[in-house]
Amino acid sequence: MDIRASIRGFIYDNFMLARSNHELLDSDSLFDKGVIDSTGVLELVGFIEENFKIAVADEELTPDNLDTINNLVEYIQRKKGAPYANTAIS
Amino acid sequence: MLIQQFLELNARSFPGKEAVVNLGERMTYRQLDEGANKLANSLIARGINPGDRVGILVESSIDYVISFFGVLKAGGVVVGLNTDTTSRILRSVLSDCSASAIIVRHNLLHHLAELACDLPDLHLVITDGDYGKLECANKLTVEKYKEILERGNMENPGVARKGGDLATVMYTSGTTGDPKGVMLTHRNLEANTDSIVEYLQLTADDKVMDILPLYYSYGLSLLLTHMRVGGTIVVDTRFAFPNVILELMANEKVTGFAGVPTTFAILMNRSNFKKYTWNHLRYMTQAGGPMAPALTSRLIEAVPNVKLVIMYGQTEASARLSYLEHEKVIEKLGSIGKGIPGVTLTVRDEEGNACTPGIVGEIVAEGENIMVGYWNRPDETQRVLKADGLHTGDLAKSDEDGYLFIVGRNSEMIKSGAHRISPKEIEEIILEHEAVAETAVVGRRDPILGEAICAVVVLRDGFVVSEKDIIIHCSRNLPTFKVPKFVQFAHSLPKTQSGKVQRVRIKDSINE
Repeated sequence: MDIRASIRGFIYDNFMLARSNHELLDSDSLFDKGVIDSTGVLELVGFIEENFKIAVADEELTPDNLDTINNLVEYIQRKKGAPYANTAIS
Repeated sequence: MLIQQFLELNARSFPGKEAVVNLGERMTYRQLDEGANKLANSLIARGINPGDRVGILVESSIDYVISFFGVLKAGGVVVGLNTDTTSRILRSVLSDCSASAIIVRHNLLHHLAELACDLPDLHLVITDGDYGKLECANKLTVEKYKEILERGNMENPGVARKGGDLATVMYTSGTTGDPKGVMLTHRNLEANTDSIVEYLQLTADDKVMDILPLYYSYGLSLLLTHMRVGGTIVVDTRFAFPNVILELMANEKVTGFAGVPTTFAILMNRSNFKKYTWNHLRYMTQAGGPMAPALTSRLIEAVPNVKLVIMYGQTEASARLSYLEHEKVIEKLGSIGKGIPGVTLTVRDEEGNACTPGIVGEIVAEGENIMVGYWNRPDETQRVLKADGLHTGDLAKSDEDGYLFIVGRNSEMIKSGAHRISPKEIEEIILEHEAVAETAVVGRRDPILGEAICAVVVLRDGFVVSEKDIIIHCSRNLPTFKVPKFVQFAHSLPKTQSGKVQRVRIKDSINE
């Protein structure tokens, strides 16, 4: 599964079940949309670390890296050092 | 003294001083007072009378603070509402307190659209959103928040109220499942505010970082204490990204920080907290449930120059009941300290006798901060407010020096993050699922949340559903923080001979 689909799947399964009426764009802020809170971020980080085999440093817990699906995909690509392109929903 | 007078006095003494900072916006005491006057005059002009309940469904922000003081200045009673809500919960709360008006943020207006027509007492909605979405807008007076603040009358309406009048009704989870409205008077809040100011030695030079919601009693106490002393409150709820908050704290040179155990677990385990020097930070307070002693010790070691004050309280006590001063935190590790100034805490046995040191009993509290009761619930009120004071439901023992140590609760409430959650409320929702025969909801130990919600479910014969099905069902009917993190299926639930579900046994087996 590609990075974007994998992230999207995790977010839907863990934070957005039964909220099909609230469409989430890849550019939407997960925090502003009420999708994740402080413990949600930690769950997301745990998923990223386990699923993509990368270590997320404390200083990397920022909105620039984690607050949108686009940011998450870019961050994971950077960490993995692999160029990756995919169609974003924006 | 009335709570709004905290603001009014400082608007005269320090008109140009910053009162509230939020997301780059800075508001002085004079601006805040004027904004609250405009809102109050508008509420009065639209028929809000002294004692009327007014809901505030707005995230923690400058607008929340203006709304809070505006309602009080109109003589109203503030009903602060959790923004992580559902239409079902809103209906329950707003109808329970017969709210006459609600101030609601545009992104939350959809909740109201579904139920405004069914609330006979609701006649006024103030919003910055598109009120066309309200189906029965023709039955309601709908005002635009921004227009009120731009064009309203900024004179103090001077509505006569007394210290014994209600200032707020704060809804909290009850053991029966329905939220209960804790009635707090101006005098209750003033007494608690003054007590906190005294033991934290707050002054006009203090500036607190507030990441806690203002509808929550701990968050509200930060606002009131700083408005009392002419200090500043920096409101920012983006703690999902702790480093953003830490940078803000450093830039703003805040002198105080308040958190719950989860906050400090995140700060110590997943943030840059230890990399700062914190020269301006004078103190940190921890409340909202017991913090693991090991975490307390690590926190003190990490920032030895910052005082850590451990606190304990309940919404029913306007927030605060006890504190453990920094100098005693290590010596009395795990203690909640002693009663705050003006509050007497006694550990009592089931017969009401004071327990000797080392003997476990219930904490009973007396003081001017204790609520006057639960809204519309005389039986519940009678159950906890007795001749000897507020029965907290918390079991504790004291040591020879009089320091209190909580050993458990005699209620089955789940403490997850900063939330007290009723298992009953979640069980009632799960039981509405057609496949569910019975269920028990308990807290499962969690290193960050303290307890995570776990539902043990017994299915009816012939039904097959997954864990996800149960979680989806809960997500549709409960706010996110009440949705179980774990679902386990069982063939039956352990019960007593009288047929009562043994939740304690289930909890013990889950936590083995």
